[in-house]
Amino acid sequence: MAKILFINPVVREEDDPRHVPYGIALLAAIAMRDGHQVQVYDENAWRKGSEVLEQVFNADHWDVIALGGITTAYGSIKSIVKKARIICPHALIVLGGGVLTSLPREMMGFLPEVDVGVIGEGFITFPDILQKVDAQKADWQNIDGTISRTKNDGLVISSQRALLDELDSLPYPAWDLFPLEEVYFPNSQVLFSEEGMLAQRRLDINASYGCSLVCRYCYHLGIAGDMKYETDHHNELQVSFDQPGNYSRTIRYHSPEYIVGMVKHAHEKYNLDFIGFLDENLMTMDQYSKRTWLKEICRLWIENGLQPACIHDDIEHDENCKGIHWSGTSHATLCNPETLKIMREAGCSHLIYGYESFSPHVMKTIGKGATPKTNMRSFFWTLESGIRPIPNQIIGFPNEDFQAIYENMQAWKKLGIVVKPFFATPYPGSEWFTVYRQWIEEQYEGDLEKYILDLGDATRITAVISHNFNAVELLGLRDLMMNFDYKRIEEYEQYWRKNHNIPDGAPSTIFQAPVNNASQKTGNIRLANGTTGSR
Amino acid sequence: MSNLLKGNFSTKKPVADISNEQETLEQRFEKEALKKLGGSIAFVAKQEVLWGDENTSQDDQ
Ligand code: B12
Repeated sequence: MAKILFINPVVREEDDPRHVPYGIALLAAIAMRDGHQVQVYDENAWRKGSEVLEQVFNADHWDVIALGGITTAYGSIKSIVKKARIICPHALIVLGGGVLTSLPREMMGFLPEVDVGVIGEGFITFPDILQKVDAQKADWQNIDGTISRTKNDGLVISSQRALLDELDSLPYPAWDLFPLEEVYFPNSQVLFSEEGMLAQRRLDINASYGCSLVCRYCYHLGIAGDMKYETDHHNELQVSFDQPGNYSRTIRYHSPEYIVGMVKHAHEKYNLDFIGFLDENLMTMDQYSKRTWLKEICRLWIENGLQPACIHDDIEHDENCKGIHWSGTSHATLCNPETLKIMREAGCSHLIYGYESFSPHVMKTIGKGATPKTNMRSFFWTLESGIRPIPNQIIGFPNEDFQAIYENMQAWKKLGIVVKPFFATPYPGSEWFTVYRQWIEEQYEGDLEKYILDLGDATRITAVISHNFNAVELLGLRDLMMNFDYKRIEEYEQYWRKNHNIPDGAPSTIFQAPVNNASQKTGNIRLANGTTGSR
Repeated sequence: MSNLLKGNFSTKKPVADISNEQETLEQRFEKEALKKLGGSIAFVAKQEVLWGDENTSQDDQ
C-alpha cells in the first residue's frame, strides 16, 4: 500500500491558522479507509519553516506527496514542491484543489515539479491514483479528472471526472491528523458574533456542494458543476468555467442525518462548542430541498442534544454554555423569517451575507439575484431572529461610480454597518477572470504567475477591473467611505468629472455595463439525482 | 519525537521541532502586529440600527 505524505500549504499568512483543510482531511480519511499509510504535515498550522519541511521530506520514503489548496496558496505550494522534488526525487507529486483546477495547463507549466494534477473533485480521482501507484503503473491519462505529462514534455488532460452523487458514502474527515489541540482549538475564535468570539473548540464542516447563483466574481473550485471541458481550435482539451450567458451548476448536499451524525460524533470526541459551516451558501441548498433541508438539520440538531443550553434555557450565553453554536453563509433573497427563526433555535449565531453593494445599478450586473431591497429585508429578518448578519461589501465593480459610492455609504449609516469592503478581485475560475483576463495580465506585464503570487485577501488591491476608477482611486475612496467623508469624495468627484469630461448631472461613469436580467439565473442547474431545475 | 507529523503509522525518522527557538522577539512582535492590520472587517453596530424604516423589515414581506 502506498505511503502518502499530505501537506497543507500556508494560506493567509498574516492571520493565525483557523481552518482544518476540509478537502485534504477527507482525502486523508479516504486514503486510510483504503488501507494506505498516511501522514499529514500541516504547514499552514505549524508554520515552522524550511528546516522542518526538509525533515518531513526526509522522514520516510514517500511514494506520494500530495498537496493542494486555494489559489492564494500558490506561493507556498511553489516553494514546497521545489523542495519536495529535490529531496524526494522518486515521489509522485500530486497537486489538487482550486489552485490547480482553475488553470490546469498554466499551473503544470509554472510547477514542473508536479507529476499529476487533479482537476476538480478528488474523492474518486485521488484513490484511483493511489491504486495505480500500488500497481506501479503511471498511465495517469487513463484516470478521469487528471492532467499529467507526456513523454515529450507535453500535457494531457484526461476525460472529465463525474461528481460523486452519493456524498453520504464519504468517511468523516481525518481531523485527528491535524493539530487540533496544539493549533486549531486555540484559534477557535471567530469575531463575527458573541458566541463566535467565545468559541473555544470549533471545527468546520462542509455539508453541501454547489450554489445556484452566478455571481460574476465567484469560483466554485470545479466541484459545483461549474466546470466544463471544451476542445479548443488546436484540438486540445481546455477546462472552462462561468462565461457570460453560459453557466452550469450541480447541487449536492449531505443528508441531515449524515451532517448531524458527524457533528454529534465530533462533539463527543472533541467536546466542541462551535461548528462553522463552510458551505458556499446554505440558503441555496435549502431552496433546492424545497425548504426541508435546514429545517431537518435543525430538528435533528436539537433532538440529538446539540442545541446550546443558553438558547434552551433562554439565558445569556457565556463560556460555560453547553451545546454547539454554529454559523454559515446565507443569501439575501433566498432566506426567510421562518427558516431563520428555526436556525436560531438550533444555535445559529451568525450568517455571512455577501450583500456586496447597496446600489441598484451595480447589483443588476453581478448575477447575485439580490437587490438593495432584499439586502435590507434579509438584514432585518436576520437581526429579528436573533442571528447576527455579517454584511460583506465589495467596491470596484466594473461599473462602480460615485452614485454607487454614495448609495453604499447611506445604507451603511442606516443599517449600522461597520465595514472595510473587499476590492472586486477577479480570482481565476471566476467569470470576471475569464472576461478580463487580458486586462488583468496587462496589469502584471503579461505575467500571469506574477498576478497569482500577488493574490491574497480581497481587502488588498490587486488587478483592477473597474472602468471608472484606478487602484489609487479605489484605495482612497474606500478609506473615505469608511469614514463617511462625503465632503472629500464630492470634491474628488468634481475633479474626476473634469478629467473625464463628464458634466454635472450626467451619470458619473465612462462605462455602460451590459445588463441581462435573464442571465442572472443559471440556465442549467443539475440536481445530484440527475433532474434539472431552475430557480 | 515531535507531533508535527500525524498519521496512521510511524515514520522511519523522527521530525524534530527546531524552529521555535529561532523566532526572535522582534519577529514575534512584528507577526502579532501585522495580524491586527490585516483581514476584512464587517459587522453590525446593533445600537445604531434604525428600525422600522419604509424600506425594511415587515413592509417588504
Ligand atoms: C475554508 C475556506 C477558506 C480558508 C482557507 C482554506 C484552506 N485551508 O485552504 C480561508 C478562511 C483562509 C479562506 C480564505 C479565502 N478564501 Co476561501 N474558502 C474556504 C471555503 C469556505 C471552504 C473550502 C473547503 O473546505 N471546501 C470543501 C472541500 C471539500 O473542498 P476543497 O478543499 O476544495 O477540496 C476538494 C477539491 O478541491 C480537491 N482538493 C483539494 N485539495 C486537494 C489536494 C489534493 C492532493 C487533491 C488530489 C485534491 C484536492 O479535492 C477535494 C475533494 O473534492 C471555500 C468555499 C467552499 N465551500 O468550498 C472558500 C473558497 C475556497 N475561498 C475563496 C476565496 C475567494 C477566498 C479569499 C480570497 C476571500 C477573501 N476574503 O479575500 C480568501 C483568501 C485568503 C488569503 N489571503 O489567501 C473561493 C475560491 C478561491 C480560489 N480562487 O481558489 C472559495 C471557493 C469561496 C468562493 N466561492 O468564492 N478560504
